[in-house]
Parts: sequence; C-alpha cells; structure tokens
Amino acid sequence: MIALRPIGRVVATELKPSTPHQFYFWTARDTPVGIGAIVRVEEAGRVVFGVVTDAVAYSDMMTPMHAVLGADGDPGAMDDPTRRAEIRLFSASVLRQMPEEPLQPVPIGPVRLASDDDVRLALRMDAYTGRDRATGIPVGVYAAGGLESPVYLDCDFLLGPEAAHLNITGVSGLATKTSAVEFLLTSIFQTFPVHKGSVAAVCFNVKGPDLCFLDQPAVLSDEERRLYARLGLTPTPFTDVHYYAPFKSDGVNLNTLRSHEALAANTRPLVWGLREVLDYAEVLLNRDDVDAKADAFIDFLGERVVGRDYRDDTLRTKPFNVQTFADLEEFFRAIFDFVEAMGKGGEVWRTHHVATIRKVRNRLSNISTRSKGLVTDDGTASDLPWGGFADRNVYVVDVAGLDPLAQDLVFARAVSRLREHLERRDLGVDHVVVFVDELNKYASADGSDTYVRKMLLDLSERGRYLGLVLFSAQQFRSQVHRRVVGNAGTAIYGRMDMDELATPGYATLSPATKIKLATLPKGELMIRHPHFTQPIFVKFPRPPVMTSREGLDRFPPATGLSFPDAVARQLRTFDRHISTDGVHALVEGRAEPDVLRALAATRRERPADPFAFFSACLGRRVTPEALTTRRPVPSIRHADGDYGS
Amino acid sequence: MRLAHIADPHLGIRQYHRQTSAGVNQREADVAAAFRTAVDDVIGQRPDAVLIAGDLFHSVRPTNAAIVFAFRQFQRLREALPGAPVVLIAGNHDTPRSTETGCILRLFEELGVDVAAEAARRFVYPALDLSVLAVPHQALVGGERPALRPQGPERHQVMVLHGEVEGLLPADRSGEEYGGAVVTLRDLGGEGWSYVALGHYHVQHEVAPRIWYAGALEYASSNLWGELVDERRKGQAGKAWLLADLATGRMERRPVRQGRPVVDLEPVVAEGLNAAALNGRIAERIGRLPGGIADKIVRLCVREVPRHVSRELDHAAIRRYKAEALHFHLDLRRPEITRETGVGTPGRRQTLPDLVRHFLAHRPLPAELDRDAFVRLGTDLIDAVERDPAGG
Ligand SMILES: Nc1ncnc2c1ncn2[C@@H]1O[C@H](COP(=O)(O)OP(=O)(O)OP(=O)(O)O)[C@@H](O)[C@H]1O
Ligand SMILES: [Mg+2]
Repeated sequence: MIALRPIGRVVATELKPSTPHQFYFWTARDTPVGIGAIVRVEEAGRVVFGVVTDAVAYSDMMTPMHAVLGADGDPGAMDDPTRRAEIRLFSASVLRQMPEEPLQPVPIGPVRLASDDDVRLALRMDAYTGRDRATGIPVGVYAAGGLESPVYLDCDFLLGPEAAHLNITGVSGLATKTSAVEFLLTSIFQTFPVHKGSVAAVCFNVKGPDLCFLDQPAVLSDEERRLYARLGLTPTPFTDVHYYAPFKSDGVNLNTLRSHEALAANTRPLVWGLREVLDYAEVLLNRDDVDAKADAFIDFLGERVVGRDYRDDTLRTKPFNVQTFADLEEFFRAIFDFVEAMGKGGEVWRTHHVATIRKVRNRLSNISTRSKGLVTDDGTASDLPWGGFADRNVYVVDVAGLDPLAQDLVFARAVSRLREHLERRDLGVDHVVVFVDELNKYASADGSDTYVRKMLLDLSERGRYLGLVLFSAQQFRSQVHRRVVGNAGTAIYGRMDMDELATPGYATLSPATKIKLATLPKGELMIRHPHFTQPIFVKFPRPPVMTSREGLDRFPPATGLSFPDAVARQLRTFDRHISTDGVHALVEGRAEPDVLRALAATRRERPADPFAFFSACLGRRVTPEALTTRRPVPSIRHADGDYGS
Repeated sequence: MRLAHIADPHLGIRQYHRQTSAGVNQREADVAAAFRTAVDDVIGQRPDAVLIAGDLFHSVRPTNAAIVFAFRQFQRLREALPGAPVVLIAGNHDTPRSTETGCILRLFEELGVDVAAEAARRFVYPALDLSVLAVPHQALVGGERPALRPQGPERHQVMVLHGEVEGLLPADRSGEEYGGAVVTLRDLGGEGWSYVALGHYHVQHEVAPRIWYAGALEYASSNLWGELVDERRKGQAGKAWLLADLATGRMERRPVRQGRPVVDLEPVVAEGLNAAALNGRIAERIGRLPGGIADKIVRLCVREVPRHVSRELDHAAIRRYKAEALHFHLDLRRPEITRETGVGTPGRRQTLPDLVRHFLAHRPLPAELDRDAFVRLGTDLIDAVERDPAGG
C-alpha cells in the first residue's frame, strides 16, 4: 500500500479533545478534504478511520473590529499587509478503529485521505467483499480528493436474512430516488451471488411513465460508462421484464403509457375476477371503517357462496352458482327480494343484517364499476405468474392509471400472494424485491390504519425471514409511518428539503451534513447501512435504462386505438402473425361484449391457434338466405285417416 | 308480427302397451292428436310465421304412418296460411346420428317449409322484414358453433333453437336427462332479439324476457313425473303452444287438450301398516280420483314399505288397476335405501332392473351427486327401455 502524503494532523485540546468517537484535525489552506471525506489516522500501531462531519476556519484575528481597523474601514482595500495565521479545522466521526480493543481516544497523528483499501476497511466492507462467498453489492463510488472507491452494500443486510429493506428519500426530481432504485436493482441482478439463490423484483409503477422502459437502453456518457466499469457493472438494461397493466374502461386498450405496439410483446393485461377481489375485500371495506359484521358476511360469501353451488330454497329453488359479479348481483337481489317479501321483521337474513349486506354489496359493485378495466365480470383472470417467477426477472405492475382504492387492492393482493408463495417456497425464486414509490401514500404517518399500511408494516417487520424485501421511496420520510421506514436496514438520502431536515428524525446529523444534503447534486446520495458506523456519501451513474422522457418520445403511447385495432393488438401478443385486416373482418358488426369475452377466453385457454379459437368463440356467421317466392303447396285430397284419433 | 311457437311434438313416440282400435300405439295416437289440435288452432289464429323448435319426431326413423301424418299437417298449415313462413329445425331426437341416415325433415321442404336439419340457417323474409336464425341440435354439438346473435338489417330478429339453457333444470335432473346441447343464457345473447323460440324442455318456461320454451304438446319426456312436478311448481296445467305478439310483447298460451290425464296420486306413507292396511290405503287413493283411473296414466308412490309387506300386497288388485289404467305405476319404496319398483317385481330377485338398481345404489359416487336422484334416474331409464323398445 502506498502511503499517501499526510494532508492534516489530529489536534486535541482541552476544549476540543479527541474521544474514541470523534476527533479534530487541521489542514493546509488548500485541501481536498470536504464534508463526507473519509480519512485515516495512523499512529503507533493504531489506525483510525473517520468521516468528516463539520469544518471551521478562522485566523488569529482577535475580534471583527480588528479587521475593520486594519483595513481603515475600506472594504475595497487590499488584503492585510501582513498575512495572518489561519486555520482549517475539521471535525470527524470515527468509522472504525484498528485494533478495536482496547477502545481509546483517537491518537494525535498524521491524517491522510483514504485509499480504496482504506475505504474498504473504514466501512467494514472487508467482512463481505473480496473473499469467498462475498456478499457485496456495489451501490456507488465514494469520491474525494481525486480518489474514487467502490462502496458495497452487504446483501445479507439488504435482502435478508440479517436485516432487510431499503428506503430512499429526497425532494422530487433532484433526489434521483427512482433512478437510484433502478440502478441498485441493476447492480443486484448483476452481482447477487450465486450461493444466495435467485432474486426477482416486483415494481409497482405509480407515476405515469416512471418504470415503463426498463428493458430499453439508456444513452450514457463516457464518464458514466467509466463509473459502471469502476463498479464492475455493465450498463445494460434489464433483459427480462414483464409488464402488467389493467385495461381502460373499454376493456381492450391497456391503461398504461407503455402502449406502443413495439413494446406489446411483454405487456400483458392485469385482470381479476370476483374470486380475486373477494379474497381481499377487506381492503375495500376498512377505508370506511367497516365492522366485524361485514367481515363475517364477506367470509360467508367467500366460503359458502362464491365458486360453488349454494342452495337456499327460501331464496329460490335453483341453486346459485356465483362466479362473476353479475352472478353475485343476482344473488344479492334474491336476498333483498326475500327480505322484502318477509315485510316486518325481515331485517336479518341468516344472521346477517340487511344493512351489512347492502354495505358489502355496494362496496363490491363499486369496485367492479369504478375499476372496470381491472375487474372483469366474466370470471376470467389474467394475473402475475404466481409460482412461475424466474431469476433476475422484473415484474412491473402498472397501477398509475387506477383509482386509489383499486391501487390498494392491487397492492394488497400482489404482496399477499408473494408472501403466501414465499412461505410455501413455491414462488419460483428465493428473494423478491418489492418496489413501492410514493410510500407516503400507502403507509402514511398519520391518517387511518388501512389494510395496505398494516400489510406494509407487516412486510417490513417479517419480510426478511421470507426473502420478501421492500424497497420504498418517498419525498418526505417524516410523512411515512415510523416503523415502516424504521425497519429499513438501509436508508438512502438524496437532495433534501431544509424544512424536512429540521424535523426530529434528522437531529443526529451535523449542521454541515444537513447543508450538504440540502445542496446535494443529482447522482449523489447519502447512505446509512448497518455495516457503516456513519452515513456515507456516494456517487452513482444514471441507470442503464431509458429515461421516461426519452421513452415517451421514442415509443409514443398508442392513444385511442380503435376497438378492432386494440383487439388485433391483443391477439398479436399471442401470435404475432395474426393480421389486423383479418381481425377487422372477423370483429366487424359484432357486439363489443361478445368480442371481449372471446378475447378473455383466448387469453385463458392459450390455444395453439389463437385466431381460430377466438373466431370459434365468436361463432360462425350464418349467411342469410332471402326467401321471396314460396313454393306452391300441392293440395291433398285424402283425409287424415285414423292415425291420430 | 305474431309468431306461432310450437315445440317438441315427438310424433311417432310409442309408450305403454295399449293400442287404438286401428292398431296404433295409444300414446303415438295421443301425440298425433295433440299436434293436429295445435295445427288447427294455429290456423285459426293466423300468425305471420310458424316456428317448430325441434323434435317433431320422437326418433330419427319414424314410422311411415307418422311421416305421412306430419306431411299432411304441414300441407294443411301451408295451404291455410300461404303467406306465413313455416320454419322447422331438428332436435336431438330427430337428428340423424350420421349423415348417411339422411334427415326425414327435408321432405317437408317440398311443401315450402324452411328446414334447418344440421347446420344453422338464417332465413330472411323481406316481405315481413323478418330474419329467422334457425339453430338445430347438430349446429350446437358438432364443430364450430354459429354466432347466436341477431344479424342483418331486418326489423324482426328471431331465433329458433333446440337445446338446454344451462341452469334451467334443477340439479337433481341434470341436463343429460334430456340429452340436449347446453347453451348459456349469455350464449343466447338476450339483448337484441325480438324473440327466441326454444325447444327441448317439455315444460313451458320463460327463460328471460322474450326467450321462451313453448313446452311439448303432450307428456312425452322420459321423466314425465318430473315434468309434472315442474308444472305444479309453476302453477301450470297441461300443455300448450305459444302465440308471441312482437309488437306488444304479449305472450299468449294456447292450451292443447291432452288425450288423457296424467296423474301423480298423493303418496302413501306405509310406515307401520300391514299389507291389508296398505291394500286399503292404495284402494282408497285410487278410489278418490274423480272419474277413476280408467285410461289414464297414473302413478302412486308408497314410501317406507318393508319387503315382507310388499310381498304380501294384493297383487291381483294391482293387476286390475294396471289393466284399467293406460299405465299404472305403483312406486314402492323400501325404508332407508331407496327402492322403486314396477308392479310384479317384488319377490323376484335378480331381474335386470334389480341388478341395475343394486349396482347404482352401491357404486361410489362423486359427493355432489344425490344418490337417490341418481338411482331413480337409472331406474327410470331402464323402465323406459323395457317398456318402449322403439324409443330413441
Ligand atoms: N446518477 C445520476 N446522475 C445525474 N443525474 C441523474 C442521475 N440519476 C438520475 N438523474 C436525473 O435526475 C432526474 C430526476 O431523477 P428521478 O426521476 O430518479 O428523481 P426522483 O427523486 O424519483 O423524482 P420524483 O420524486 O419526482 O419521482 C432525472 O432527470 C434523471 O435523469
Ligand atoms: Mg421518482
């Protein structure tokens, strides 16, 4: 190891002593040291690493008045005739002492900027990088004084089992939160060690085009490519990305900004039926603080009625077979008719109060009408490949166009399903990163205790044992439920808002660190990670995926496809040889609900010949035979005989 | 626009053993008479079109007498109503099993009847501004189905179809009983049709607004007791055809007088009765029937009859009832295990029906099947086969 020239010396006075945790050092006037710089102190067999947290400068001037007098009261006067003694004094927090025991105050010795190896030791990364079964995931470079050292996170502490979860905070547009997560996912996919098993990501796109182009390449600068190389990564976009989006209310155009034909092959509909909704009906209810009675009735529907023959001769002789929302509505109507016919005393049906039944019915029919594109009436579902998840695959669920209630439903169901499958170890992968942007909306600090918030809390508390990991982002950390962010083993901060920094959550940061955070350029982040004793600043390159702005330019969304065109588009995702003209001819003059049903059936059956199957579902058209003249009728004399008497 | 909707005449059916003085099976004569009565009434009502929704004949190869009779009826219909199209479709009973058999229904094309025997056809009558989509049984079971949707610019969009609408029959009498093609209400596409004339289910029934089964013209299904139960539930008595007025939406039930009553006597519970007492109870039930049982089709269910009691019953008397009625079915059911027998079987073990019944009563069944209903269905089928060798 080449010992760099010292850039400063530790100074300890009675007023400003060295402690085992903190020390001061002075430097020359012209120094590369800045807030966040990592330094090394070596003296008498003891090595101490620290990170600079604050700095002051002063001269031997007694009072400001002396300065005024010295310049004859003229601010424009030349510098002091005599150069004054002047000091740059830095305070640093200890990152690591070697040896660790006995723990002693930082020795008074020379201070050097940290080298690559120093950074590795200072951040305790030697415990998990550069050896067998390493678990380091590059997150960015630490840069100071012309030095650049890769910084790694420990995947045992990022994706479990030791700790897990990541939260990133910072102001809109400048904090590069979404970009950082995209970059980190790239890094995880490229470096997650084989001995840790497989990993996939499920990303909820909650904002417009944010995550719509993860499989498209970025245009990166040479400098950015160099950074990738420095981190041992290749700047290539994700290769296996699967998009899921609900339909628009027309039932055939997808409700996503990723609707350009060239991107259709891996963009699939997300459609749920009654069963899927009913299992998570609680989500729909507790917004309005619905009681246990409603839960009981929902359980009754789920266990006794939906998807099976339900017999109740008092309602009607034919058994109910509720598969769809329409069937359910029929069932509800039968109950209401029955109750009405009972007249007085008819407020209760099978121990369930009519008001409760009405409430449940209203919530359910509400979701089916308000989120028409997500919830289908004919009982066919198109869903994420539960049980068939694949290593290093990204599954993006685009909920940006859904109303909040439906978003909650999608979250609740998707996360619950992930959890169930991971518990049974049959998801297809060992670890899943769930990325939720705008976390403040789904797990807000104040506001009601919604099902989704409870679920996220549970995920943050127990997910790491299962390999279910939450990556979350929000502008203001203070607006998110404390335990959800508190459980994140790794916390990242981009450019921050001063008012936010003034909230109690940031009290441990030095004023200088706060100032640095408030002025942090794009692409720089402050990281807290269990191995790092102090927060560390790193720089990361832009993610290797197309920005949403460029994506929208290159792949403008297919706005307002005509019904037959949209149908053809859907069919071509099953078989790209299907011609638009053929579909037009087939669909022409047919009722839209019929066409949608045929499409749903085709999606469900995945037949070998999708077009033929689709066409068979619609049914053959019967050619008209115009009958204008009628054959004359022969008259027959003889009577009927006695055959029919 | 007024439509006559007739369904399931089942001409040529042969049931029970009695013959008319002319040597025709009595039930065969009954259904023919019912059809003739219906045709007379249709002619009297002068509808704009006549639809016959399948199962004109009870079998693919009806007797010559039945064919000649039907020909004569269509001739009368066409002669009396020369401007009214007559549309005829094949049902599951009169659809040939193979194309070589050929379809007798085509014969009526000579009379200007529009026939759909295998494929669906759409007949357009410009003078009436009427389109009739005719969907025979075969069109629903073989290959690609036609689109069951209104088409074309005609104001009156009518469909005539032979099949079972899913969920129509109670679960204990599943669709297979009738052997028809199953369509869902959604397949039928309720919206947009002026009228849908259905055939196959023998009880008149409104499936949905403007979608009707006319019901058969006589009791001619393999489960006529079930038919009676359904009719009783609906408060219907007897058989009829339907006159549909498309302008007003009014449906007129046009009853057809039956050749003879079909009576399901009030069941007897034999628990605690000895043979003599039970004989008395049976005689009492029969005696209470106004007009007696002569020439009627009658069933009497007796529950909880121990084997020794049924053995000791007055079989001479039972034979007398049997001779008097056109058909008398004494349905004796043992306690606990369900047992249904025709007269004469008690004591004679190991007949074919006995074997079948025993087998059905003990074979493993899927949990959702009702064993009683299952056994009853099997026994009914065996009974039907034994009595009606010509049936199809
Ligand atoms: N590493 C980087 N270096 C420089 N610029 C970057 C870097 N990463 C992202 N940017 C740029 O910063 C801008 C904002 O990035 P991003 O959308 O990720 O921010 P955000 O914090 O998620 O914002 P919002 O809160 O609005 O979602 C983008 O224009 C992006 O190109
Ligand atoms: Mg963002």
